[in-house]
Amino acid sequence: MYMRKLTYFFSASLVSLLFLTSPAYSQNAKLIEAAKKEGKVAAYGSLESDNADAVFQVFKKKTGLDVDYWRASATKVMDRALSEYRAGKPLFDVIITNDSPMQIMWKEGIFAKYDSASAKDFPKDAIDPNLGPRYRNVIIGIAYNKSVISPAEAPKSLEDLVKPQYRGKLVMPDPTQHTTTTQWVASLEKLMGKEKADRYIRDLAAQKPVLVESLLPAAERVATGETPIAITYVKYVYMFGQKGAPMDYVRLGKMLGDGHYVTLGNKAPHPNAGKALIDFFLSQESMSIMAKTGEFVNRKGIYPPLPDADKIQFVEMYDLDTKQYADKKKEYQQIFLR
Amino acid sequence: MSANERTLSAEQPLPTAWNQTRVGAFLSQPISWVFLTVGGIIGFLSLYPTVFLFYGSLVDAPLGVPGHFTLQNYVKAFHDSEVYPLLLNSFIFGFGASGLSVVFALALAWITIRTNAPFRRLFELTAIIPNILPPILVSISWVMLLNPSNGLINGLLVKFLGLEKGPFNIYSIPGLIFVEGLILTPLAFLIIAAALKSMDPSLEESAKTLGSGEFGVMSRITFPLIRPAILAAITLNFVRAVESFDTPAIIALPARIEVFTTKIWREALGSFPTNHNLAAAYGVGILIIALLFVYLYRRFTSQVESFSTVTGKGFRPHQIDLGGWKYLASLVAFLLLVLLVLLPLLVLLLVAILPYYHVPTWETWKHLTFDHFRYIWATPRVHKAFGNSMILALLGATICMVLASLASYITVRTKLAGRGLIEGLIFIPWAFPGTALALGLLWAYIDFPIPVYATIWIILIAYVTRFLPYGMRAVSSTIIQVHKELEEASIACGAGFMATFRRVLIPMMRPGVMAGWIILMTIFMREFSATLFLYSPGSEPLGPLLYFLYLDGMRGRVAAIGLVISVISVILIAIAQHYSRWETK
Repeated sequence: MYMRKLTYFFSASLVSLLFLTSPAYSQNAKLIEAAKKEGKVAAYGSLESDNADAVFQVFKKKTGLDVDYWRASATKVMDRALSEYRAGKPLFDVIITNDSPMQIMWKEGIFAKYDSASAKDFPKDAIDPNLGPRYRNVIIGIAYNKSVISPAEAPKSLEDLVKPQYRGKLVMPDPTQHTTTTQWVASLEKLMGKEKADRYIRDLAAQKPVLVESLLPAAERVATGETPIAITYVKYVYMFGQKGAPMDYVRLGKMLGDGHYVTLGNKAPHPNAGKALIDFFLSQESMSIMAKTGEFVNRKGIYPPLPDADKIQFVEMYDLDTKQYADKKKEYQQIFLR
Repeated sequence: MSANERTLSAEQPLPTAWNQTRVGAFLSQPISWVFLTVGGIIGFLSLYPTVFLFYGSLVDAPLGVPGHFTLQNYVKAFHDSEVYPLLLNSFIFGFGASGLSVVFALALAWITIRTNAPFRRLFELTAIIPNILPPILVSISWVMLLNPSNGLINGLLVKFLGLEKGPFNIYSIPGLIFVEGLILTPLAFLIIAAALKSMDPSLEESAKTLGSGEFGVMSRITFPLIRPAILAAITLNFVRAVESFDTPAIIALPARIEVFTTKIWREALGSFPTNHNLAAAYGVGILIIALLFVYLYRRFTSQVESFSTVTGKGFRPHQIDLGGWKYLASLVAFLLLVLLVLLPLLVLLLVAILPYYHVPTWETWKHLTFDHFRYIWATPRVHKAFGNSMILALLGATICMVLASLASYITVRTKLAGRGLIEGLIFIPWAFPGTALALGLLWAYIDFPIPVYATIWIILIAYVTRFLPYGMRAVSSTIIQVHKELEEASIACGAGFMATFRRVLIPMMRPGVMAGWIILMTIFMREFSATLFLYSPGSEPLGPLLYFLYLDGMRGRVAAIGLVISVISVILIAIAQHYSRWETK
């Protein structure tokens, strides 16, 4: 009796599931059919090529569509996309990059509004009304080299970094040059409150950290052991760890970071192919693939294979405008480069 | 018209029949047509993208957005007390690095070209390798060798000499000058070596007959005769150092040394969003400095006849017999090549076979991997990039050298009005920082009537636009040495301009032409900064591929590809050098 009920329940569930999903599926099939006629998708983005390729390969298997991906820094992605758009020759269908340049491009009106069916599976607070779901968070924390500094001796908090024993052992990107780091320093008050953050920034500068060009060389110096502690992306701990680097990160609880989005150009040469890519890009399958490459994606229950990744609380950094960036860089020049 | 009346120079008497109007007279000369064609092509390539940059420096909005005329960008860029000390730092850095590169290049070139030092052929071939490697990789290699914390050389010295700490600190002004000097040496070497190859050693022999010692010959004969080449190398390398950002970013930034380019980066190119207008205004500032150096170079070499050593009298240069000193000469060349080639290449090899870079220990041997080379073998995208770069390097270097040879001839040999303008035009796009020019090229060609944007051809255009000065300098420093009597003899025998150019001048300038071709070919195999915005994934060459791999932290792959590029380039250089040797003429 119990078995029969169970069978009935499962059959009913299956039928309802098929019923519910079939319209979406057929719509998807229609879209893919139209996309195939367009031939390919052109995407410009700052997502790392290997991570992007992992997703694009599966997309190609499913749809037969190639993705021509132009990878550059976020600023260069924005420069190229805006220049092409202003000249009336946009060659891109999809843009994949972080919040600040996305907001500027959105204000310039280069995106089409596309409500992907895959967007509904993201948490509501991770959906930007203009840009759609924030598919990943790129989180900045403290990484260290376990061969040079034992976990017991490693700092336990951001505040620890300004203790005398870590003087000369810290590397970070130059906040007067590297935009994301300017944003990170400016957003510290979200974690500490304004007064404490102001004091902390001065104390941090007084430690005379080694300043480098961006977050990657900071992590590389930790991996090679040249400088044992870095303020850098937490995902680099996984990335370099995979290759054998003895790296770990400090479990800070709350960590600042940047949100990343995927958008459709409003003059996309291959609009259907672009939509098909966004649908797949935001899907559960794509997010799982991306998480396996070390990314913190915004899907409940999907985490990168990094110890305690599920315990990290993401705090989005301030979105600064052009003037605020310039002012902050000038202010930090006085503090960090004295 | 008799053969004697055919002339190459506009200053010479014109045939009466054509001497009716000045324009008619001008157009009656084949060289005038060459001048107009070459000038037109160079003028277009140079001015078209830079007009966009100049315009950008004079408005307050990005291109494509309506804006207002303003001088504020220049006020902001140069009415800033911070700029001038930084310019001084840049000048110290530029002079130090270009001076060091010329000293190294002179020593290497003299030993490999003019002496009988053992292994000189091998040394000559390997001296060019650093030009093949992306400068950023060379800087990183030296950081790995000489950083005070765990640099390999410092580590070894501490271990074997029992020192308390490593004696070298790469993060310093001398460190910055040293690394940039090494990066710039191959360019100076190629230009100076070409000049030495074209020089008639009978002058040195005469001096010796008259009682001069080896040192006297070198200081009073050899050195003054190759002065145009030395000045060309200093001019090119000084400007290249002043506008370089890679080495300062890797070495100056951690040392907290500010140079002019780090300021440009902070204020304009690296600001968010990029301040295109301010970047263009800074670019114009660097351009003025560069043009000043071109002017000085032209003044120093204006007495061209005094440098002519390749005359109508047949000569067969031969090596100077150093006797027992030849081994010491080889040792000096070898030590220089250890710094220039061997050490950076060993570090690259290490990076290419380690899963991630770390200071090697006995444990390291267990982790060696060929994964990065397997990636090259297994990735169609990499194969395509190699194919694209080979086409671009061979075609681009050839086109550049044809244009550079004709342009050099016009600027050095003729008295045509406007010849100096051609030289100035060639230098304009080169003096802009690479990323600033990249924006100019993007704006210029994005909506070009011929649809070249995002194809391989736009990259070719960008390469020729930016790097023509290298070809020009290499070839004009040798053309100065070819005496006019050779072409006059050719004309007297009835040959026209093109025949004289092809059969007399090109063979005589061959060392310079080949040197320029090699410089350009090796740069085009890995260049990316000016073309980053222009390619589409289908037309991707190796330079941008290396850039994004570097951006993604894939140092191992970058090093492996860098090594493969080096091997391919060395093979191409060996072939090119085989055809440029004066011994084989």
